[in-house]
Amino acid sequence: MRVPLLRYFAREFRKRKKKTALITFAITWGTLSILLLMSFGRGLSNSFRLSFKGLGDNLIMIYRGQTSKDYHGLPKGRRIMIYPGDIALLRALIPEIELIAPESNNFYTITGGGRETNRNVCGVGPSFGVMRSMIAESGGRFFNEEDERGARRVAFIGWNMAANLFPGENPVGRTIIIDRVPFTVIGVMKKKLQSSSYQGFDADHAYIPHSTFSRIDDQLYLDRIHIQPKRREDNQLVERRIREILGRKYRFDPKDDYALGIWNTIEQAEVAGKVFKGIEIFLAVIGALTLLIGSVGVTNLMYALVKERTREIGVKMALGARRRHIILQFLLETLFIFSKGTFWGTAIAYAIVRLTRLVPVSYEITGIQTYLLRPIFSLDILIIFLAILGTLVFLSGIFPAARASRLNPVEALRYE
Amino acid sequence: MIEMKNINKVYKMGEVSLEALKEVSLMIGPGEFISIMGPSGSGKSTLLNIIGCLDTPTSGSYFFEERNVAGLNLDQLSTIRNRKIGFVFQNFNLLPYATTYENVELPMLFNGKPGKKRRERVLELLEMVGLVDRQLHRPSELSGGEQQRAAIARALANDPSMILADEPTGNLDSKTGQEIMGLFVKLQQQGRTILMVTHDTNIASYSQRTINLLDGRII
Repeated sequence: MRVPLLRYFAREFRKRKKKTALITFAITWGTLSILLLMSFGRGLSNSFRLSFKGLGDNLIMIYRGQTSKDYHGLPKGRRIMIYPGDIALLRALIPEIELIAPESNNFYTITGGGRETNRNVCGVGPSFGVMRSMIAESGGRFFNEEDERGARRVAFIGWNMAANLFPGENPVGRTIIIDRVPFTVIGVMKKKLQSSSYQGFDADHAYIPHSTFSRIDDQLYLDRIHIQPKRREDNQLVERRIREILGRKYRFDPKDDYALGIWNTIEQAEVAGKVFKGIEIFLAVIGALTLLIGSVGVTNLMYALVKERTREIGVKMALGARRRHIILQFLLETLFIFSKGTFWGTAIAYAIVRLTRLVPVSYEITGIQTYLLRPIFSLDILIIFLAILGTLVFLSGIFPAARASRLNPVEALRYE
Repeated sequence: MIEMKNINKVYKMGEVSLEALKEVSLMIGPGEFISIMGPSGSGKSTLLNIIGCLDTPTSGSYFFEERNVAGLNLDQLSTIRNRKIGFVFQNFNLLPYATTYENVELPMLFNGKPGKKRRERVLELLEMVGLVDRQLHRPSELSGGEQQRAAIARALANDPSMILADEPTGNLDSKTGQEIMGLFVKLQQQGRTILMVTHDTNIASYSQRTINLLDGRII
C-alpha cells in the first residue's frame, strides 16, 4: 500500500474527527466499565482470599465436643476433651501432618505501660505463629522452641493490644503483667486481614508459650489443636485420621461429627475459592456481554458513517479507487477509533484503580471498604479484554467496510 | 477510440425490467468532441456510465482503445477509470473534507505517482484552471465555477485520453458555463476525446457531433 495514500486517509480522518467522537467516547466508556468491573471483581476475591489466610493458611482446628451417638455401650452426650498428650500421638500416627500446635486460652487482666486491659491470653505452641499467619513487626519475633522448652515469660501481642497499652511507643522489650506475672514483650503482630475468628480477633490477643501458660493457668485440657497438613490435598484424609485416632483413644464413633469439633479451613477455603472464581467469571461474562452489545452499537454507527459517505465512495471509485482502497480506509478508521477509545478507557481505568488503592487498608473486619476498595488491575485481565476487543473490532469494522466496497459506483454517485 | 456494438442495458426492478439502452452501436474516434442529447429517461447517463466503465452493459460488445471492456474485472475497470478517463459531474462531486489541492491529487494517489511529479502535476493543473491561490480551500469555500474548474483539474490528473462530462454546466449560470466550455475546447485542442451529456443546445453547440437518444436508441 502506498504511503501517500495512507497519509491522505489520515488527513481525511482528522478532518472528520468530530463525526467519530461519539464512537470513540462509546468505546472509551465500554473499555472503562469492563476493566473496572473485572479489576474490582478480581480485587474482591483477592481480598477475601487474603483475609481467609488471615485466620490461617492450610489450617485444620480441633475442638472439644460432645458425642451424639451411642458407641460400644457408652451413651451419647458424653463430653470429649482433648489433652496435651494428643499432640505427640497425632504427630506420631499421621505422617501427613507438617505442623501441629496446642492452644489454651483464658481471659486475664493485663497491665502494661501504666494501663490496664482485660484480654484473651492464649498459650500456644511455637509453630502456631506460622500456621496463623502471624508475622512480627520489624524488631520483634514470635516465640520459638527454646522459649517453649524453658517456659519463658515472653509474650507476642496483637497490634490492637499494643496500641492500647503502649500508644505511639514500641512495646518490644517492655514488660506486661499477666495475672500478676511479668512477661517481656518480644514481638508485635503485623496487621493482617482476617475474616474468620473465634473469641475475638488476633489483633486483640496476647500469645505466650503453652508451657508458660500451663504454669499460670490450672486448666488441664486444651481448647484447640492447630494442624497444618504437608499437602493441601490431604486435608480430608488428615481429618478422617484425627477422628479415627482420637475416637479410639476417647472411645467415640469416628463417624460422629459432634464428638469432636473439627474446623477444616482448607475445605472451607476451597469452597469459598470456587465461589469467588464464580463471581469473577460471572463479572467477566457480564463484561463480555456488555462489550458485545457495545460493539453491535459501534457496528451500527460504522454503518451509518459508511452510508453517510456513500457518495464520496462513489466519487473515489470513479477516480479509480479499487475495492481494497475502500476497505482499507474504513478498516484503518475503525482500528484507529478503537485504539484511541481503548487507550483512553484503559488509562482512566488504571488511574481509578491506582487512586482507589491509595485509600489505606482498613483492618476493621466490618468495613466493606476492606474488600471493595482493593481493585487489582492485572495483565491477564487486559490481555483477555484485548483479545475479545480485537475480535469485535474486526467484526464491527469488516462488515461496514465490505459493504462500502461492494457499492455500485453509479448508484453511489447518485446517492443523496 | 471507442467501438460499441449492439449494447443493451436492462435494469431489473423486481418483476418489471426497464430497457435503458436498446441495440446501441457507436464509434468514437480520438479527439472528437461529442454531445449526447435527449430527454430525461432516454438513456444518456446510462450510456455515459457504460462508456466510463462505471457500469457494464447487459449485452453487446464494447471496445475501449481496442480492449474488450466486457472481459475486465472490477480492479481492471478501476485502473481504466483512473488512467484513461476523467469524470466531470453536474454537481462537481469534490470530496468535502479535502482541499482543492488534495482533490486534484487524489487520482494520482490511487496509481502511486511519485511525490515530486505529483506535486508538479497538481500545480500545473491548478495553474491551467486558475486556482493556484485557492489550493488550500475546501470545496465549500469555493464558488460553483471554481468547484467545477477544480473538478476538471482533478479529471485531468492522470492525463486521461477521454473526458466524460455529465451536464457539466447544469448547476452554473450561463456566463460561468461558457467559461467551463472554454476549458473543454482547450482540452479538445490538446487532443483529448470529450463526451458530454447535456440538454442545452447552446452548450451542445461547442461540440462537433451530437448523438441524440430517445427511449434508449440512437436516432
